[in-house]
Amino acid sequence: MIEFNEFSFRYREGAEPVVRDITLSIPDGCFVGITGAAGSGKSTLTYAINGIIPHCYPGDFYGSVTVEGCDTVDTSLTDLSRLVGSVCQDIDSQMVSTVVEDEILYGLENFAVPREEIPARVDEALASMGIADLRDRTIDSLSGGQKQKVAVASVLALHPKVLVLDEPTAELDPASSVTVFDLLARYAREHGTTVVVVEQKIALLSDYADMLVIVDEGRIRFADTPDAVLAHSEELLALGVNVPRSTTLMNALSAQGLYAGPTVRNVAGAAAALKEVLA
Amino acid sequence: MIEFKNVSASYDGELAVLNDVSFTVNNGDFVAFVGTNGAGKSTTMRLVNGLLKPTSGEVLIDGVPTTSLKTSELARRIGFLFQNPDRQICCNTVREELMFGFKALGEEGSEAEARVDAMIERFGFDADAEPYLLNRGTRQLLALASIIVLAPPTIILDEPTTGLDFRECVKVMDVVRELNENGTTVIMVCHDMEVVGDFARRVIAMTAGRVVADGPTFEVLRDGRVLKEAHILPPQVTEVSLILGREAACPAAVAEANTVAQMVTAVAQACDREVEDVEVEAID
Repeated sequence: MIEFNEFSFRYREGAEPVVRDITLSIPDGCFVGITGAAGSGKSTLTYAINGIIPHCYPGDFYGSVTVEGCDTVDTSLTDLSRLVGSVCQDIDSQMVSTVVEDEILYGLENFAVPREEIPARVDEALASMGIADLRDRTIDSLSGGQKQKVAVASVLALHPKVLVLDEPTAELDPASSVTVFDLLARYAREHGTTVVVVEQKIALLSDYADMLVIVDEGRIRFADTPDAVLAHSEELLALGVNVPRSTTLMNALSAQGLYAGPTVRNVAGAAAALKEVLA
Repeated sequence: MIEFKNVSASYDGELAVLNDVSFTVNNGDFVAFVGTNGAGKSTTMRLVNGLLKPTSGEVLIDGVPTTSLKTSELARRIGFLFQNPDRQICCNTVREELMFGFKALGEEGSEAEARVDAMIERFGFDADAEPYLLNRGTRQLLALASIIVLAPPTIILDEPTTGLDFRECVKVMDVVRELNENGTTVIMVCHDMEVVGDFARRVIAMTAGRVVADGPTFEVLRDGRVLKEAHILPPQVTEVSLILGREAACPAAVAEANTVAQMVTAVAQACDREVEDVEVEAID
């Protein structure tokens, strides 16, 4: 369980808090998508989960954030990193090794995982992202998309309870983005891992997330199922948050009195609804 | 005009990353290159701007091979927007960044100053701001502005909307659309099929270093063979209409709709209903 309790944070150099009065409970095993306009405070929320705030970025911290019952202020960054695995937005800043296998080994060795467990963990992590064939490749020979998969695999190898990812598919083509989300969702289901993803690709989030969190100017405006959140698509667009084109289509039909059903959030839903409209 | 004539390319001299690629981009075109990671799209762009030389075949800019054009000549003809603006931005202030291209070309002077001033006004930049302290969308706009201030006849955009939020995306693409309407040739590498469908008039689909389709945007994006071969997902409304065309007895207008407005009009006609103006608050 991740719990934000009236959490506000102002970076030391900032004039105003970047997030304010955040109260949110994320149950174990939940797949959470966080989105919002640039500068809305999305990444700050993830920093509060993995402890980068306040341990690396000092500032005024109000309220509390707990992960698995551990207060992120009182728990050391080392101990938090055993609970929370993080994948940065800038993948190159995360890579420390020259070869893919070494990148996976780096975290395992630093966390003192028993030697006999390591080979199986490496195999499992590579397989979970579908990159077993990249094991011996040098990092600098990989495409942006391949690097993103390596970064995720190196974190999954540590078996974190919580996985925090900041725009993990930014450099991926649509098919690979779907693959990564498929793999993340499957991994989360099989291991009971809580996944928190910051992402601009709303169509992808709507399809995979159990909970969609919309952040605007440091405050949570919506935190609910994708269907419930997308029912407010006019407000989302006003906040600078896109909605899936399928949702826009069905809303436009609704505005013309041609559709009166529930909110649609993907292609399959739109096609099914239109078959009924045209029947 | 940009011509690729049977172009192959390799980074290490052995493994071909581009294989016998031929196409022509005419002046004023708006072309999107689509395909999976590693399909050869970015390599193609590097061949256009001379960062990479072909191992065989020819790349011609206005009839001149890139191999015989100086870097400065190529820079005058082609502006290149990198996917990550931080790989492009290198100066301490917005004004210096906008002047950088003129300095590199040895073309500083009152005309350059006037064009930089106009660009600052047009985009509403703070001339003295430090580029790295701007947010991602503004940095992307600055990188774009620092290219178009040089008024190249062709711009290449490598994933221009990656990492941008909805508003920033609209802002960047509105600028690109306006440039194209005023005659600038636009070549865009893009994974966001909604952006491709909304803006590009022509799509070149690539896979494994080859061109598998080249044609009007929705002709390519509705072709099942191409979608499968290039692992492309079409824009959502196109995908809906393709499904309806396959699985439901529906009018041709529904089965062929590619935009929200087209689909709403088609459904209204099918239901014998009048349709009011369709307003869509999306990049449409």
